[in-house]
This record gives sequence, C-alpha cells and structure tokens, in this order.
Amino acid sequence: MTRKHSVNRPPTPDGAEDQGNEPILQEIINIKLIESGEKERLMEMLRERLIECGWKDEMKALCRAYVKKKGRNNVTVDDLVHLITPKGRASVPDSVKAELLQRIRSFLTSAAL
Amino acid sequence: MCARNSIYTTPKPCKHLADYKLRHGFNTYYSIRNCLKTTPNGRTRVAKHTTKIPRCSFCDRYQGRLYFCLMCSSLWCPTHILLHTQSEKGHEVAIDMDRSELYCCLCCDQVYDPDFDKVVVCNQVKDLPGGSKSKTNGFEACGERSSKRKRLDSGIGLDLKKSKLLVSMRDRRAKSCYPLGLRGLNNLGSTCFMNSVLQALLHAPPLRNYFLNDRHNSIQCRKRSGEKLCLLCDIDAISSAMFSGDRTPYTPAHFLYSWWQHSSNLASYEEQDAHEFFISVLDGIHETESKIRNSGKDDGDCQCIAHRAFSGLLRSDVTCISCGFTSTTYDPCVDISLNMDTSNLSSSNANKPIKPDEKTELRDSSKQLSIRRLPLVLCLHIKRVEHSLVRKISRKINQYMQFPFSLDMTPYLSSSIVRSKFGNRIFTFEYDNSNSSAAYEIFAVIAHSGMLESGHYVTYLRLKNQWYKCDDAWISEVDEGIVRASQCYMLFYVQKLLYNEAIEDSSFVHISPRRDPFDSTAGCS
Repeated sequence: MTRKHSVNRPPTPDGAEDQGNEPILQEIINIKLIESGEKERLMEMLRERLIECGWKDEMKALCRAYVKKKGRNNVTVDDLVHLITPKGRASVPDSVKAELLQRIRSFLTSAAL
Repeated sequence: MCARNSIYTTPKPCKHLADYKLRHGFNTYYSIRNCLKTTPNGRTRVAKHTTKIPRCSFCDRYQGRLYFCLMCSSLWCPTHILLHTQSEKGHEVAIDMDRSELYCCLCCDQVYDPDFDKVVVCNQVKDLPGGSKSKTNGFEACGERSSKRKRLDSGIGLDLKKSKLLVSMRDRRAKSCYPLGLRGLNNLGSTCFMNSVLQALLHAPPLRNYFLNDRHNSIQCRKRSGEKLCLLCDIDAISSAMFSGDRTPYTPAHFLYSWWQHSSNLASYEEQDAHEFFISVLDGIHETESKIRNSGKDDGDCQCIAHRAFSGLLRSDVTCISCGFTSTTYDPCVDISLNMDTSNLSSSNANKPIKPDEKTELRDSSKQLSIRRLPLVLCLHIKRVEHSLVRKISRKINQYMQFPFSLDMTPYLSSSIVRSKFGNRIFTFEYDNSNSSAAYEIFAVIAHSGMLESGHYVTYLRLKNQWYKCDDAWISEVDEGIVRASQCYMLFYVQKLLYNEAIEDSSFVHISPRRDPFDSTAGCS
C-alpha cells in the first residue's frame, strides 16, 4: 500500500511558532553578514552601483513627479516608499545583482558556512 | 540659534515636533550625538547597538527601516512604531536609524529640524579624516553665520556720477533701426573667428560699460607707454566705432595687427578656433593691464577687466573611496569647457548642458568638480571635436544641443555640492553665497557651421530681448528659434542683475569729451 503523499509532507510551518526556534539558514547568513560588518560594505557598494547606473536618479524622478502631482504637503515618506519599491526592485540592473551575489558567495566560502 | 538658509526653503516643523522641542530642547539631540556614525560618502547612521542586531521591539524584524525612539531608545519598525506612541505619551519623535532623519510618529512622516541637522553635520565634520585640518572645515564656529558678506559690488556698473558728459541720445531714427552698439565687422580673410568673439566681448555688459565709461583712455595710454601697441586701445577703438552710431561695417585691421603681435603663433590667414582666440584675447588684455599697473597679480584676484568679468574659481575635491579623505584644490578659470555626450541621444538630457561636475574614477578615488566662485560673465565652451584614436582623425560633432536662455548655477556651486555631500542637511555652510546671484541670462551665442577645418562662425546677440545675427558685416534681426537651432559653440551668460541693468540703461550713453557726441547718424533713416 503506497503511503499518501500528504503523510510524508513535513508539518505546515506555523509562523509564530517557528520564530525564535531554529533560525533558518537565511537568517544565519544575514546575522553573520551583519556581525562581520560585511553587510555594511555590501550596502555601500550597492548604493554606489545604483547611483552609477542612474537608478537613483530614476527613482528620484518618480518621486518628484508624484510629489508634483499630489502636492508637497500631501505626501509622506511611506507613500514614496510604497510607490517606488515595486518599480525599484524590478529595475535593478542584472549586473548589479550578479556582482552582489558574487560577493555574498565569496563571503560564504570565506566564512566557511 | 537656528542656521538660516536663504537659497533652500526650510520645511516647517510639524506641531508634534514643535511641541517636543518646547518640552525637551536639544537634550535628546545631543544625547544621540555619540551614537552617530559617518561613512566615507557622507551618510550618517545611528549605531547604538554594537553587539546586538537592532530589531523591532514588537515583531523582532531587523530588515528594512527601523526607528529609534528619542525618549526611551527603543526600536520599532514602521508598522509598529505607532503602537509605541499610542502606549507611551510623549514618545512622538523618533529617528530613522539608517539615515539619521527625524520621524514624527503621529504624522507618520519624516520631519526636519535645522537644529538637529546642525548636530548631525557637526558630527560628520568631526568624523571626517583629517577633520580639523582639512579645508572643507570652516566649521569651528559650527552653525554661526559667516560675517563675510560678498557684495555684488564690481564697480563695473554704469557709473552715473563719474561720467564726464552724460548725453541722452534718444533714438531719433526710425524704430526699425537697431539698438546702439550693433555694427557689422568686415572679414579680413577667414577672420570670422575674430569677428564673432569681438561681437560677444564688446556686448558683455562689464566690458561694454568699461569701454563706454572710458576706463581705458587711449590718449593717456599713449602718453604713458609711448608708441607701443596696446591691445586695450585697439579694443577701445572698436568699441567706440561700434557705439558711434555709424552702421557701415567696420574693419578691425589695427586690432588684428596688434593681436598678431601678441599671439604670433596664431598669426596667419588660416581659419582659427574662436575659443582659442577668446582665451588669447583675455590673456592679451591681462598682460596689457598688468604692464600698465605694474602688478603681476595672479588670475585669482586680478583686477584687470578681463579677469574681473570672466574669472571664476573652480573647486576640485578628490576623495579616497576607502577612507573618505578628501583633498581640495582651487583653480581659477575664465571659462568652462563642456564635453558633448555623443552616446546620449535621449531627450531627457536635452534640456541640460552636460556639466563638469563629473565623477571620474582614478584608481580608488573619485573627483568632484564644482564652482567655488561664479564669474560675472560665464562663458561655456562646447567641445565639438571628437578624436578617434582608432582612425586617428578628429571630426566635428554636429549634433544639435539645446541650451537654456536663463541659467541657474546653484546646483553646480561648491556650496551645493558640499551640502549634498553632507546629506542635504539644513545647515549654513561657510560658502553659502546666498546673497550673490547664481541666476544668469544669456546675451551672446557663437555658432559654428561647417566642418572642422573649413567652417564659419556667427554670433547671435540678445539686446533688449531681441536676437540679432552678426555674420561678419551683415547684421539682421532673427527669431529666437533660429538661435536655438544653431550649432552653439560658445555660450555667454551674464549675471541677471547686470543683464537687467544693461537693458534698462541702454538708451543712455556716456560719451567722453574727445568724441563728438553729435556724430551724424548715418545708416538708418
């Protein structure tokens, strides 16, 4: 008799329960990045690349257009963040993503994770 | 004690921030001062927790924006900070940890306070490598306004009191006639480069006024220096001829001869470069005046008319990317050369001339150019030559370039660049030249048509808001569209105040006694 697949599935993760139990790999990596100061360096590098390729200017222009439309006093920082987050994430150049990934990979090998 | 900012509008604090300040003053600002950390590119963040990773007190989130409550130092993510404000009275103001910006929890928005920015800037300055010694630091009196006020007192304006004879030469001629000072120049054999520059120079308000006010008196000059050639006397002669009212084309032969003596390497009948000629004329004027005054002063503070009109100061900052140390140098300049970006054909940049605030990567450093002191007359030279290393030839870039008639130079000032380096804080830096104008109006355009070796220069002059084309001996009225469509090579802007002065007073001409003020006005009827 073949077992039903559902039996072999791992238990459905419960959000509240999982937090604080075993940190998942992503969290461990993140913590390591922050503790070693590498995350800060990566952020600096990322900021530079995004300025160089004109991404920052594009986002600035979007924000300006929005503020112009809504009026300076009717816009909050949160509005702007919600406005440009999807567009911003989508328009990060592939070269920047590749470089970042490369840096993280080399960090991982050096940190022997 | 608030750092006032005239060019940039300071946003008003929200009611909550104002209340908060009334209650607590600057105490909390000073208390976080020690937690502020600066990165080499000028970003400041709050770094209180050196061991632990900062997390939201409610949801433990550590990614994205985190706010640091100024009252109790607790940390919150944007979603949950409102909970904190609601439960604790008086905890309304927080600070964005990554950016060091104030946040009002009740308005749910970023707010700005010059006093807070002052604390941040002072801290940034302190953290800069080579801080106390570096030139960028005029901040010993952090926040105190500089008492030095540069007045726009060039002494070059039309001098009503000192003129010998003030004659109102009402334009008795028909209205179809051109304004005073407009006169064609004959071409002496490929000298259009000279004619075009002369037209622009003689109509530059400071130079125009200088010669009209008889600041260089030929008789006295000849008495002083004997029969030696004087470039200024020759330009003075051309200026008098231009403003005499005679409309027949003038032949600047004597000037050409004098100039050949000065720049013998360029003395030929070949077509020369207008920009090169322009630099050489300014140099000639400077030398001539230095000889007269016997002063060998450097371009920086030189009082010769060429430098008084055109000299500005460029600032160059070279910053090491790794450690943030910046080396600053100042260089005087009489014009700004701009490269044409042949690769960028998009229309988004079409309205802006490409500016020299480039960042060039030299190994591990970056270089930033800005303008420390603006000149009275701003000359922009558009480099229309492209050198191909592969084919080893140079060719002219014929691409059309849009340029503005009114120019605001504020973003290119050193004060603006320095400001943005510190994160655009509301703070009066030492160099804020808020009292001197950064607004310019165009008055002359030298355009080039044709190829690199064989082309033709014309000058478009803007007098009393009407454009005129000066094509050697031929002067004609043209539409502003023609000017915009031309291949601009050199653009001449003058500070707006001088421009307005010039168009107001052009009906009055100061005449010195040696000239007959009632010359017959031949030409127009």
